Amino acid sequence: MRNWMSTLTLNQKLALGAVVLGAIALFATPYPGSSVTLDAKELALAVAKEADHVEAPELAAWIIESRADYRLVDLRSESEYAEYHIPGAVNVPMGSLTDAGLGRQETLVLYSDGGIHSAQAWMLLKAQGYKGVYMLKGGLEEWKDRVVFPVLADNPTPDQRSRDERLRTISTFFGGQPRSAGAVAAGGAGMPGMAMPAGPALPKVSAPASPAGGARPGAAKKKEGC
Amino acid sequence: MMAPFLKYGMFGDETSLVVAFLIGIGFGFFLERAGFGSARKLVSQFYLNDLAVFKVMFTAIVTAMLGVTYLGWIGWLDLSLVYLVPTYLMPQVVGGLILGAGFVVGGYCPGTSVAATATGRVDGLLFVIGIFAGMFAFAEVYPLVKGFYLSGAGVAMTLPATFGVPYGVVVFAVVLMAVGGFYGAGLLEKKFATGATE
Amino acid sequence: MNPYLAGIGLGLVLLASFVLVGRGLGASGAFNSVIAWGVHTVAPEHAKHNEFMAGYLGDGSESPLKSWLVFEVLGLFAGAMFSGLLAGRAKVMTEKGPRVSVRTRLAMAFAGGVLMAFGAALARGCTSGQALTGGALLNLGSWAFMMMVFAGAYAVAYFVRWEWR
Repeated sequence: MRNWMSTLTLNQKLALGAVVLGAIALFATPYPGSSVTLDAKELALAVAKEADHVEAPELAAWIIESRADYRLVDLRSESEYAEYHIPGAVNVPMGSLTDAGLGRQETLVLYSDGGIHSAQAWMLLKAQGYKGVYMLKGGLEEWKDRVVFPVLADNPTPDQRSRDERLRTISTFFGGQPRSAGAVAAGGAGMPGMAMPAGPALPKVSAPASPAGGARPGAAKKKEGC
Repeated sequence: MMAPFLKYGMFGDETSLVVAFLIGIGFGFFLERAGFGSARKLVSQFYLNDLAVFKVMFTAIVTAMLGVTYLGWIGWLDLSLVYLVPTYLMPQVVGGLILGAGFVVGGYCPGTSVAATATGRVDGLLFVIGIFAGMFAFAEVYPLVKGFYLSGAGVAMTLPATFGVPYGVVVFAVVLMAVGGFYGAGLLEKKFATGATE
Repeated sequence: MNPYLAGIGLGLVLLASFVLVGRGLGASGAFNSVIAWGVHTVAPEHAKHNEFMAGYLGDGSESPLKSWLVFEVLGLFAGAMFSGLLAGRAKVMTEKGPRVSVRTRLAMAFAGGVLMAFGAALARGCTSGQALTGGALLNLGSWAFMMMVFAGAYAVAYFVRWEWR
């Protein structure tokens, strides 16, 4: 065997090596496919510790501060996104979640209308090894309820007054309008889910005093080609 | 090992520019090592005197292909995170023909023209200037060719996926084709060699 | 250098690129970025309204020159220069065949570059970005492109043999 091998030129040895490697590669499955391994315990703990979500007012603060260290992901369809989306959000419909190229070390905040889709997406991404995934607690519903159309007390105490001022400022920033507690109690008829339809329509998408600083996440990135 | 490192957050965009420069050095180094800083050497491929272009290109393809296949297979490289240029079949077919024509008319391709300029070839420099002029011209006439430019699939497609053949089978086929080609190249060179390649 | 060894070297560089940054090599794209930057510097409105160039400008938050490919091509220049100097192949000269004048050859080089630019623009890449990179990744369009490059070159070679032989 050794004698025969030594009669080969370098090029022939290289060719032989390539063919051998190619033959072994016949059985290769280099694309991992979509199956994932879940660490159920780790995920359950994350949910129990509430390390899995971000509250609406928190997100509002981040947007106002023009923080650029996270990426806001809208999981709804394109048409829903076009109608209204939280400023700075990038649209990744549920179906394209795995293809979207979201970075595994990025801080991602997911939202949908309520909490179901964002919870499902959170699970899928965590299972794939994404480290910094969070859901917007309550989704757009809670966003509308607590940030854009916050409920203000009718006869505020001094403490409540400063809190209400803050809520009013935030609400205006996002193009919304505060609601009075009394009106909600009267008109809502104890059915919180129905509170919105009578209210003002959600503001059209326009970058509210757009964060001047870092590029908005998802803004048209320059392309580089090959 | 979690690769591609950049996609797993091992380093940031700024560092990736440094990485780009370093990889470029390796790229340029081996291009020139292969003698591809010379138009006469490159063009000899198309007169069948010196088939180094075929040998180098396909050896590189096979090497990287085997590397990617094995690393993906053992799970060290997440292939789905490696960028695959979308296929636009007709523009790529026509573009290829035009590029081939340009290759033999001008004597270089974009990468080798930079390598040639770096080693003092004035014709390499003119080629580079030509590319700039051509790119500008293309951008100017873009509205006219836009329809054709955007035709074709526009989706990333691999050979195995398109033809429904297992990935490994295509890999093996490519290796066989390349090795067979190298053997054939040797025969052709013997037949057509003129020594006018250096 | 033995072409097969050079090819292995090149292949390993390509593999390193996949492993480090999840993309392959390229060249023609860098030219696009530079053109977009250049035109933008001289006539910003024109660049922004040109759909092709605007793509390379993005939202304007970053210079088109701050591109992976541009840096890679700069490295290409440096690496090639180093190899050429090392091998004594670095020399200011014009590569041409024996039957053609320097002036004609330079004109043909320019023309070749123009053709190459159109081809690379249509194909979204050149021999580096498409043939090498796409070839290794078994990309359908890249393989089709690669075969067409050889076809086109062989077809035209006959008609320009006065330039080289």
